Formats: sequence, structure tokens, C-alpha cells
Amino acid sequence: MKRRAFILCATALAAALSPIAAAGAAPKGQRGLVIHDRPRPVAAIDIRDAESRAAGLDTLKGRPVLLNLWASWCMPCVAELPALDRLKPALDAKGVALVALSLDRSGKVAVANTFARLGIANLDIRTDENRVAAEKLDAPALPVTLLIDREGREIARFIGAAEWDGAAAARLLDALAAGSPLTPDMAPPPVRMGAAP
Amino acid sequence: MSVIKERHEDKEATEMRRFLLILLMFMAVSPAARAQEDNKVSGRFLLTDMSGRTVTDEMYRGKIRLVTFGYTFCPDICPTILNTLSAALEQLGPDRAKVATLFISVDPERDTPAHLKEYLNAFPDITGLSGTPEQVAAAARNFKVRYERQKPEGDDPKVYAVDHSASIFIMDREGNFLARMPHMSAPDRVADRVRTYLSPRKAEE
Repeated sequence: MKRRAFILCATALAAALSPIAAAGAAPKGQRGLVIHDRPRPVAAIDIRDAESRAAGLDTLKGRPVLLNLWASWCMPCVAELPALDRLKPALDAKGVALVALSLDRSGKVAVANTFARLGIANLDIRTDENRVAAEKLDAPALPVTLLIDREGREIARFIGAAEWDGAAAARLLDALAAGSPLTPDMAPPPVRMGAAP
Repeated sequence: MSVIKERHEDKEATEMRRFLLILLMFMAVSPAARAQEDNKVSGRFLLTDMSGRTVTDEMYRGKIRLVTFGYTFCPDICPTILNTLSAALEQLGPDRAKVATLFISVDPERDTPAHLKEYLNAFPDITGLSGTPEQVAAAARNFKVRYERQKPEGDDPKVYAVDHSASIFIMDREGNFLARMPHMSAPDRVADRVRTYLSPRKAEE
């Protein structure tokens, strides 16, 4: 009985603690570019390509990675895909791998449909085989884009959609490619949703 | 932007004061009163399902319910809560048939039944519910969920955010409140909790 009372109390406390979430789950103010004080390890995720072959980050060893987490049901995610698609050839030329990882539960079908609808030409189909990416990469809300250095460590992340193909983003991504320090002034402008895409 | 941020900060300060107050209350109140406080969450609702039919909580009688409130037109970042729920259901395996998972929109104006149906194609095990603004407000009141439509940030009056409390409610087979879990709960924790309610209750010692 004591234990039960404790659980009730704890549950109620937890509820009281959780404030109204402003549209999302990230802590207040946690939007835009977050540069980490020190690089963080990136949890291993079983990423698959369109043929269900393994395409994890370990296959990109030695290259910096821009890892975008998105889903077809997330409108701001879908809204930023065309910019990422335009960005990909330039990033490849810089030696940075761009991985747009879909968290859709229906896997590549949802991705293929979204890509077709948007006319995505350069992005590869990448799916989260075990559907654990949101949890393992600490992404309570989407989109989130991780900046991963050539040692495979997360050095920064961008929470929300961004103008990835603009001038500010280019400076950020040049720094990522060169392995030079990232600074807050490199933050690309956030993109807010206009009408539904 | 800055105006909105300030308002959020104010809200946070209020939340914090409220939390401290509640904490003090909890220290003083007896377990019985605590249980009563919990009972205040009622799972009653009268809403519209994705086919446009009127539904009530009574129609899910016999099933444990997982209930969350939200909206689909998240303007900047979208919570992965439906992902969490659908992963939890997957972990339940065949037991998922004993669970009704309901997503109640706090933005009925844009989240029409037809829109919810299309949106929830991505989450086939989740039922989207909407209704008139009054019906949604009544449901939210019963669940003790707060939501507030924000002013449009740009020129388009159709582009606005809706702040809302985000929890996962677990209700029993009669629709009574069992538990409230944080929206960032890991799927296996949600599944574990549901399992404890699915298994026959042990005799009280």
C-alpha cells in the first residue's frame, strides 16, 4: 500500500513537472543550432538502403556526416527535404556525407512516396530498420539534423528545419568538412512552415 | 518571436511556482486524498472519428486505452510521440488488440477527420479523434489537458502553433484513469506499463 501511494505521488509529481510543451518536446529554447561543449558518441543505428542492405554510419567512416532525421508525417521535415536535396551534390564535393534518415514505420514505401511527390533527385533512401533512431539519438521531436565529425562523433545538432542550401549553412558545412571549430554565427536561419507542402 | 518567448518564460515561472505549491500540498495531504486527486482525470469524451462518426469513450469499453493529445500541423518541430506509441504497440505483439490507441487533436479546425485519416496512414494502429471546438475542449477538460492556440506568426492566419500539455494517458477497460506517462517515455517503458495492466491483477496482500 505504501508503495502504491508512493507511485501515485511520483506519477502526479511527474505530471506537475511537465509544463505545457510548446508544440514539441525539446526543452524550451532548444531550437536551432546547438554546438556541444565536447563531441558526443553517436549510438549505432541499423540504417538500411532502398534494397534493405546495411547502410549504417560505420560505412561512412572517416567522412564527416550531416545526419538528418525526418518522417513523412512531419510537415516541417518534409518542407526542408528539397533544400537538403539541392545541397547534396555540393556536400559530396566537400567530402561530407548527407544521410536523410526516415523514421517512418512503414519504411522505404513512405520514403519513396514522399521523394516522388517532392521530386527528390539526389537524396538516397535511408530507413531506420529497428525504429529506434528517435530514442537512441535523443530526438523527442523532428526534424533534427546531427553534425558528425570524421571520427564519428556528434559535434552539434540543428533542432528544427533550416535553410540548408543558404550562405550561412555553407559556412557551417565548410567548417564541418574542414574539421574546424563551429561557431554560433554559422547557424543557418530556421525555416518555419508556411502552407502545407 | 521574442514576445512569444517571454510569454513562455512567464509560463515556466508560473509552472514552477505551481509545482512548488503542489509539492508542499503533497507533503501534507493523506494518501486517500492523493488518490482522489488522481481520480479527477476522467476519460470521458464525445468526439468524431476519422470516418466522421460520433464516438464516445464507451465505444472502447473492454480495451485498455492509450490516449494522447496533439495536433498535426506542428509548424517547426513535431513530437515523436506517435512514433513512441506505435513502437510500444509493436512490442506488445498480439496483446495490442486489447489496446485502443487514441490521438485527440487539439486543433479541430485544421485536423478534420479526413485530414487525420490521411495523416494517420503513417500510424495504422492509432485512431485520430477530432470534433467541434467545444467537444475537444470538454475532452481536454476531462483529461486535465491544457492547450492554447497561439497567434499566427506570419501573415497567414492558417499558420499557427497550438501549445498543449503532452502526456501519455493510460486508461482502464472502463475508461478510468490508470497512469500518466511523460511524452518522452521510451517505447519499452510504455509497453511494460501497459502489460502490467493487461495481466490479471495479483491479490492485494
